[in-house]
Amino acid sequence: MMEVDVAVIGSGPAGLTAALHAHKSGARKVLLLEREEELGGILKQCIHNGFGLEQFKQDYTGPEYAERLIKELEKTDVECFLNTLVTDLSSDRVITALSPEHGAIEIRAKSVVLAMGCRERTRPSVGIPGTRPAGIFTAGVAQRFVNIDGYLPGKRIVILGSGDIGLIMARRLTLEGARVIGVYEIMSYPGGLKRNIVQCLNDFDIPLQLSHTVTDIRGKERVEGVVISKVDSNLHAVGGTEQSIECDTLLLSVGLIPENELSKKAGVELSGTTKGPVTTEIMETSVPGIFSCGNVSTVFDLVDYVAQTGASAGTFAAGYASGNLGVNRQSVDVVAGENVRLVFPQRYGFQDDLVLFIRAAEPVEKPVIIEVAPPGSKVNRLYARPNEMLRVKVPKEKLAEVKQSIKVSIREK
Amino acid sequence: MAVEKKHFVCVVCPVGCEIDVVHDGSEIISMGGNKCEKSEEFVTQELIEPMRILTTTVRIQGSKWPVIPVRTDKAVPKRLFPRVMKRLGRTKLQAPVNMLDVVVRDVLHTGANIIATRTMPRE
Repeated sequence: MMEVDVAVIGSGPAGLTAALHAHKSGARKVLLLEREEELGGILKQCIHNGFGLEQFKQDYTGPEYAERLIKELEKTDVECFLNTLVTDLSSDRVITALSPEHGAIEIRAKSVVLAMGCRERTRPSVGIPGTRPAGIFTAGVAQRFVNIDGYLPGKRIVILGSGDIGLIMARRLTLEGARVIGVYEIMSYPGGLKRNIVQCLNDFDIPLQLSHTVTDIRGKERVEGVVISKVDSNLHAVGGTEQSIECDTLLLSVGLIPENELSKKAGVELSGTTKGPVTTEIMETSVPGIFSCGNVSTVFDLVDYVAQTGASAGTFAAGYASGNLGVNRQSVDVVAGENVRLVFPQRYGFQDDLVLFIRAAEPVEKPVIIEVAPPGSKVNRLYARPNEMLRVKVPKEKLAEVKQSIKVSIREK
Repeated sequence: MAVEKKHFVCVVCPVGCEIDVVHDGSEIISMGGNKCEKSEEFVTQELIEPMRILTTTVRIQGSKWPVIPVRTDKAVPKRLFPRVMKRLGRTKLQAPVNMLDVVVRDVLHTGANIIATRTMPRE
């Protein structure tokens, strides 16, 4: 059996950063496992810019951001196994993996970093009625077709859901000569970042209709059209508002779900809210020595946030592997209070500053106070929007005396 | 040019201020809704000529993948996007290509180069 200090599963922005930081923090043998034939994860197909603004003060495209990390990794002795699919992970950190080059292998790791990312919600997960023709894709699959495989998924396109990937694809497909008829969002506010609404839709005169959804799909072999309906405040379709739209393609940008099959096999506790592992501020899961970071933990808005959790996971995974983290560690819950839909991490373990990622439940378009109590820290923000994660840092020193759970609330100022 | 009203969403930072501008075609007469001064430069440029980075792909031979991602190395007028796309439709590269290699120099006399955004080894 192969033995390593830190094994990282997945080589997207979270995994690459975790591997780099595990190495920087002194882990001697770091192994990065990637199921695809190249490192970089989903960054490879995200050819638009806007990556790394905070982390590197540069406006990179996804592939450039990935290549920068990969080049840094190449300068280290971190070992990478490509085409390697991890099929099992035990709670005592034995990894089973398959690859054409290495065959079926078992790896015993002193610590493990989960960085498998997330996958897209599909038609069955949103339950759209109608026929089952070809021409219905998730936005990310269409992105892969266009940006890596080099072909267009269709010519007349309707996009359901206003998640960032859908917005990015509306622009991308328009540039490539397809007609994007419109983006329809069931909620009364957009799913994606405001800058994407402006630069991907408004710039190209692509309409966005809020409080609308697809209520029927027509076509036998190929999509021939969809029916769009208005929804009421309970998100139910309003009779009499149906409009029929001819199209050959329907793209779905209706949310992402952390990919946690391996986490479950290892017995890691998952959160019902984030759908990812419950972790502490050092990204440690409920199973000692197993860490998780990036979109496998919770779906982040920005790669900078993903990388930040990756750095933390890598650093402390190295610490665990070298025995520098104590065994009997205390921790308290971090819970969502007023107008908070989710907060990450869900526990605080007194090892590092507490960097909170918070999603508001309802939009507030006026100044808000984010309160973290105890210790009673208050942070001002100009607004709180469910589609833009808030980030608040509470220094370790302020938290040393905390005994009960920490509550995070968003209030109007 | 006559005085006109126009609505903008500022994209300088994530706040995304909704700005109402009264202008005469090139100069701002008055503006409201912005929470900081940075919007002024943005709106002025938007009135004269909206500029954007273009990211897309071009065909490539001799590599694992049939296309390679590229971008302009600085912002170009948004109205030229369709023409730049058309120009790049005629481009076919040969692997290997390194990240930041210039693919098309001074595209459509904009002063911007088209550069590769990943390394593509020969297969």
